[in-house]
Amino acid sequence: MSVPASDKGNVPLLEARDISASYGQVQALKPTSLHIAEGELVTILGPNGAGKTTLMRALTRLTASKGNLFFRGEDITGLSTHRLARRGIIMVQEGRGLFPQMSVRENLVIGAFLHSAETDAQMTSVFELFPRLKERLDQLAGSLSGGEQQMLAIGRALMAKPQLLMLDEPSLGLAPRVAFEILGTLRELNRRGIGILLVEQKAPLALKLAQRVYVIALGKIVAELKTDEIKSHHDLARYYLH
Amino acid sequence: MPSLVEFLQSIVNGVGVGLIYGLVGIGFCVIYNASGIVNFAQGVFVMLGGMVCETLLSQLGIPLIVAVVLTIPLVAISGIVMELAIVRPMMHRGATLFAIILATLAAQIMIERITLLTFGDRPRTYHEFTTGGPLKIGDVAIGYQLFWILGCGALLVLLLWLFFTRTRTGRALRACSQNREAAQLLGIPVARMMLIAFALSAALGAIAGILVTPTQYTAYNVGTPFGVNGFIAAIIGGFGRAGGALAGGLLLGVLQALAIVALGAGFKNVAALSFLLVVLLFFPNGLFAGFGKSAKAH
Repeated sequence: MSVPASDKGNVPLLEARDISASYGQVQALKPTSLHIAEGELVTILGPNGAGKTTLMRALTRLTASKGNLFFRGEDITGLSTHRLARRGIIMVQEGRGLFPQMSVRENLVIGAFLHSAETDAQMTSVFELFPRLKERLDQLAGSLSGGEQQMLAIGRALMAKPQLLMLDEPSLGLAPRVAFEILGTLRELNRRGIGILLVEQKAPLALKLAQRVYVIALGKIVAELKTDEIKSHHDLARYYLH
Repeated sequence: MPSLVEFLQSIVNGVGVGLIYGLVGIGFCVIYNASGIVNFAQGVFVMLGGMVCETLLSQLGIPLIVAVVLTIPLVAISGIVMELAIVRPMMHRGATLFAIILATLAAQIMIERITLLTFGDRPRTYHEFTTGGPLKIGDVAIGYQLFWILGCGALLVLLLWLFFTRTRTGRALRACSQNREAAQLLGIPVARMMLIAFALSAALGAIAGILVTPTQYTAYNVGTPFGVNGFIAAIIGGFGRAGGALAGGLLLGVLQALAIVALGAGFKNVAALSFLLVVLLFFPNGLFAGFGKSAKAH
């Protein structure tokens, strides 16, 4: 079912080949391959414990991993997390990963660590997407509501000018309306040309956004298909669309 | 029963030494915040500050200001070496924080012994920055060096505050202290931040050593008491909080000075440790742990 990136003709934005990760003796992610094209929004679906977060951590090298990584065709296998960020691979972690004792402003400024000369311009564009953050500028990040925290996490990631934005469960713990709002913003970002790799429990919502889906189970990608193809896979459709 | 003059004099003396404890305590916080490590070799930076400055003054005969300007980076380099030679390799090999902390204690003993073998055990000192004095207010004598300690301490705290809140590197260090993974994901080189933290911490220790040496002797073994008292100051202030460490140091210094006057020199450490126990009993996270966390939930 998997389609090798090399057969697609275009050079993918990100390609992982046989990437795997272990925690001690336990192999949480078996050798697996995936790719994201320029400007594509791809979602990863799978049950709890399937290895979605491990895959995201392996791709950003937060967890030591084996296998090869390519960014726009360039081998970036040996690069550490902060060097991947310099290439534009930015991840919003599960739980948001904010700096809770820093203000909203400081979180955003830190987001522009690699582009400090453009901090003001970046901040203006973040406020266009999330005007509520402008009202909370001097508030501690840890004191924001869940939805505002997620807005800040995404806003901070945008300050880093991502080429590929990876998000791990951005709607976790949010009210449905807020989750819908956040995921709608991702669609807008994708329209602007940012590649997005999304891990999301709210599968029906994610499938409305994504162009392509990877299904992961037991630490391995077991299916890759276009979003509209999922309806023809009755077992997947039953599991993820209802 | 001590007289009022003795009481006031002890407070003045306590403020001076307390500021030094505070600076050492801030050094602990800087490294802890960037790495999670308690650097038990913090006291040796104070010792090295005094020893290197005295050696430059006595051996090279250079002006004090030049000696100070040379001493601070030299000691900062020792902090960088400690991070590169001990902490980083252990971290890369997956050593636990406890093992790394123990290694810093070993480093302290090693540096002390190397200093003993190199410089000998002769206590050393040099003249106060401003000669003359002391300033007399009534019967209370205030040495001019105390004003240097107060002034430099206040200036350092201001500079540190500006560094941590207004500069890109300072903010990045604070970000590392709150969420290292998130910091890495935003492109912050955490390993380089740790190096900066060790250098900064060592420089702070050096400045403390340079300032305090004219008021008392320095020798290869003075690092331990400064390290222990700086550590207590940091704990009292709520470990990891620079302002808390400074306030903790001042409290500790004054308390020790009062204990000496009221109970005798033998009670200096008893008073410090008793105070620490009482603080930990009622404020397990330190006296100032609640400050700066006034969440404005809505």
